[in-house]
Amino acid sequence: MDVALVALVVLWWALIVYAVLGGADFGAGFWDLFAVGQSAKKQHQLINHALGPVWEANHVWLIFLIVGLFNVFPSAFYALSIALFFPFTIVLIGIVLRGSAFVYRYYALDESGLFARIWSRVFSATSVITPFFLGLSAAAVASGKLISSNGVPQANYLAAYFSPFALVIGVMAVALCATLAAIYLVVEARDTENDEALTESYRMKALIMGAITAVLGALGLLLSISEAPTIWQGMLTRAIPVVVATMLIGLATAITLFRRSYRIARILIIAETAFLLGSWGLSQYPYIIPPFYTIANSANEPTVIKVLLIGIVCGLVILLPSLYYLFSVFKLPYPIPGLRRSEQARQTQERKKNEMVHPS
Amino acid sequence: MMPDLLAARAQMGTSLAFHIIFSVLGVGVPLMLCISEGLALRTKNPVWMMLTRRWARAAAILFAIGAVSGTILSFELGLLWPTYTRFAGAVVGLPFLLEGFAFFTEAIFLGLYLYGWDRLSARAHWLCSFPIWISGMASAWFIVSANSWMNTPAGFVIKNGKVVDINPYQAIFNPSTPFETVHMILASYVATGFGMAAVYAFAYLRGKRDEYYRKGLMLAMILALVATPLQLISGDFNARFLYVYQPVKFAAMEGVFRTQSGAPISIGGLADPSTGQVKYALEIPDALSVLADYNPNTVVKGLDQFPREDWPNSTLVHTSFDGMVGSGMFALLVALVFWGLFLLKKRTLPSNRWLLWGVILAGPLSFLAVELGWMVTELGRQPWTIYGYLRTKDAVTTAPLLNVSFLVFSLIYVLLAVALIWLLLKVARRPLPQVTLSEEGYDVKEPEIEKVGV
Ligand code: HDD
Ligand code: HEM
Ligand code: HEM
Repeated sequence: MDVALVALVVLWWALIVYAVLGGADFGAGFWDLFAVGQSAKKQHQLINHALGPVWEANHVWLIFLIVGLFNVFPSAFYALSIALFFPFTIVLIGIVLRGSAFVYRYYALDESGLFARIWSRVFSATSVITPFFLGLSAAAVASGKLISSNGVPQANYLAAYFSPFALVIGVMAVALCATLAAIYLVVEARDTENDEALTESYRMKALIMGAITAVLGALGLLLSISEAPTIWQGMLTRAIPVVVATMLIGLATAITLFRRSYRIARILIIAETAFLLGSWGLSQYPYIIPPFYTIANSANEPTVIKVLLIGIVCGLVILLPSLYYLFSVFKLPYPIPGLRRSEQARQTQERKKNEMVHPS
Repeated sequence: MMPDLLAARAQMGTSLAFHIIFSVLGVGVPLMLCISEGLALRTKNPVWMMLTRRWARAAAILFAIGAVSGTILSFELGLLWPTYTRFAGAVVGLPFLLEGFAFFTEAIFLGLYLYGWDRLSARAHWLCSFPIWISGMASAWFIVSANSWMNTPAGFVIKNGKVVDINPYQAIFNPSTPFETVHMILASYVATGFGMAAVYAFAYLRGKRDEYYRKGLMLAMILALVATPLQLISGDFNARFLYVYQPVKFAAMEGVFRTQSGAPISIGGLADPSTGQVKYALEIPDALSVLADYNPNTVVKGLDQFPREDWPNSTLVHTSFDGMVGSGMFALLVALVFWGLFLLKKRTLPSNRWLLWGVILAGPLSFLAVELGWMVTELGRQPWTIYGYLRTKDAVTTAPLLNVSFLVFSLIYVLLAVALIWLLLKVARRPLPQVTLSEEGYDVKEPEIEKVGV
């Protein structure tokens, strides 16, 4: 197989992981914005607790993506950097303010002081803006109109990113992040905080946001007929099985949420995101940026890509076990070496309790 | 209005100058954490644990800002310099990618370290600090090797205007890699050592002299003492390397306009390209030729050997270079006097006011040396981005409104810096944590709960 294609698949997986982990981070910020009233404080705590140990690691996937892209497809990266200058600059500002705001408010000593309150607002506002512009940029690429007909990338071709299609996909990206986060937070609220009311509230939020995402997705698909014909053609032909699977998984997610099988719902929403991005990737194949940049005409030399792939494999050998360890310590209730005895006991007990309440 | 090229350069420079402060701490502080926590476990002295905890709390905030400012850079490479990134991505992308893995490992173990105090066993927790400092050092190595490549490009051939025959290994291990990476990593330890020592020296001056402050000061000064002499030696190697590989930069940094044998060293002063002289400088005859090649008759190439449009800004480069070397010399002097007095006074920490002020000054000066050193490297490479291959004016993006972008990012940096300093000062003023030793390891009670909720 073509090494560039292999590398592209690896990058696409990184994109999926970023969407699943980083997307939930953004979504948590979204819910932070809407945490008002009686339970606001509790919700903030839940979100802090859920994000604290993992946000920085989640975020590195994005860096991996950027770096991977300019390694493997230098000329496509060049074109994207110019053509998406404005949305990316906004995304960048969003990411920067969001990351610092989260830390500043987490470590603010006086939790209700002005300092913490202001940064908290910054955190939630940028958590909404950033995925919106990421979605918009993706749609602008897919539309095939990002680069004007002479093939020279320009930064001031605004029509591509203010089309109805791009706007819908932007909002959909926000809604998807919110759904992801709500489902993660349901699990967190039930299993870590044991809070009945909070669990129910996030269940409702997940259902509503899921429905909104689905509607926007359908709308986006309709708009793509005229505005992103490449994608639409691809969806109908090559990607059709994946598109259908995406829809079915979405439905299944709603059903499991409805029946309160939250851990299964969490797995399903991850699969849903993966399939959604998968269907987009498949339908855009073989273009990196339709209609000018294809895998073949923008890939780096095969020897270089081979070295990169070897590098990635070596990196993953260190990375994956470490990542698993991180999540085992903080997120998964399975005993793992290195825990304190008291913590070991606490986790074991918690797992037993969960198994008794929800035999699955 | 600022021209676009100037705005892009200014934005890049500001972003890097901001980021490097956190990178330096990201390389240096984990080593300190590892040592002090190791000492806490070994000696069973809770004071070491108190130090570790306090540093870790500050590190959590600093590292996050390091990650955020680094993210700005990885975007800016593309957004501001797309032509550079297309070229560099094709040839020397590998270290950027490997750097990504190093960050990842660092972020994962940092998460475990900072949030795992009560979950992990004492030993497992300590072990988590090793991957943090190793990967911090590795990321510095990778990124600086990419920068070395910009100074001495290698591992590719240009045929018909196309970059071909790429060899990523040669690109990473380009001629200046060993010099720049070693010098940078040492710089991180020098700056971290003096930076932390300055904090404790300040407390010391104000009469806080219990064990906690003594141990903090001592550990930081040990790091500084070990790293500083090595740093000066390594800098000397860098300079001699430049004499051969980047003679333009060498000439600019030493303020040599006229090619000559028996060239003098000009210390201080203002290099003035219009008259070709370094005004107000202290000159040591023959010294430069000796430094460059151990021979007073060696001919040193001056800027007059090169076309005028290839000159970097010699005034800035020369002054930056002197500032770096001067700061380094001062730091070395402080470290030597400090430990000299320590030995003379039968192993008690010196409390001479002047010396303590020297330590306090050496802290910011070492950070200044890092910034100035980078000015030598980056300004000295101008007008090239990739030395000999890609000029800075050809590397810049065609996107408009770069001056607005520069303004916005500058404001963001000011905002982040003000908030950061405010927060760190508050953290520093908190009462020390209560540390007790139990059979499961150290139990730490922070004086108040730190969880937030608004
Ligand atoms: C604590 C910081 C510090 C100290 C005390 C010194 N340096 Fe330095 N220097 C750096 C921190 C630094 C740096 C910031 O780390 C640089 C920028 C790029 C690099 O690799 O290291 C650097 C670059 C740099 C360069 C340019 C390398 C290049 O462009 O390839 C030279 C020639 C020197 N240094 C030489 C010296 C000499 C002769 C010193 C003292 C006698 C010295 N440095 C002390
Ligand atoms: C000499 C220059 C540099 C050194 C020594 C350096 C080193 C480091 C270190 C040690 C960290 C971890 C910092 C921390 O956790 O506080 C870091 C973070 C980072 N750096 Fe730099 N860096 C340098 C320049 C750059 C440049 C030019 C880029 C852009 C390509 C960059 C991109 C990043 C990124 C993306 C991160 C964040 C990683 C994360 O999310 O954890 N750095 N850098
Ligand atoms: C962190 C320490 C660094 C500092 C303080 C620094 C400083 C600067 C400054 C002041 C400029 C503007 C120079 C000018 O145009 O006059 C610049 C440009 C640039 N730097 Fe660095 N730099 C650092 C490290 C790096 C590293 C590690 C890389 C890449 C691997 C890098 C890549 C670039 C690029 C691509 C430019 C723009 C093109 C150019 O002006 O040549 N820098 N840097």
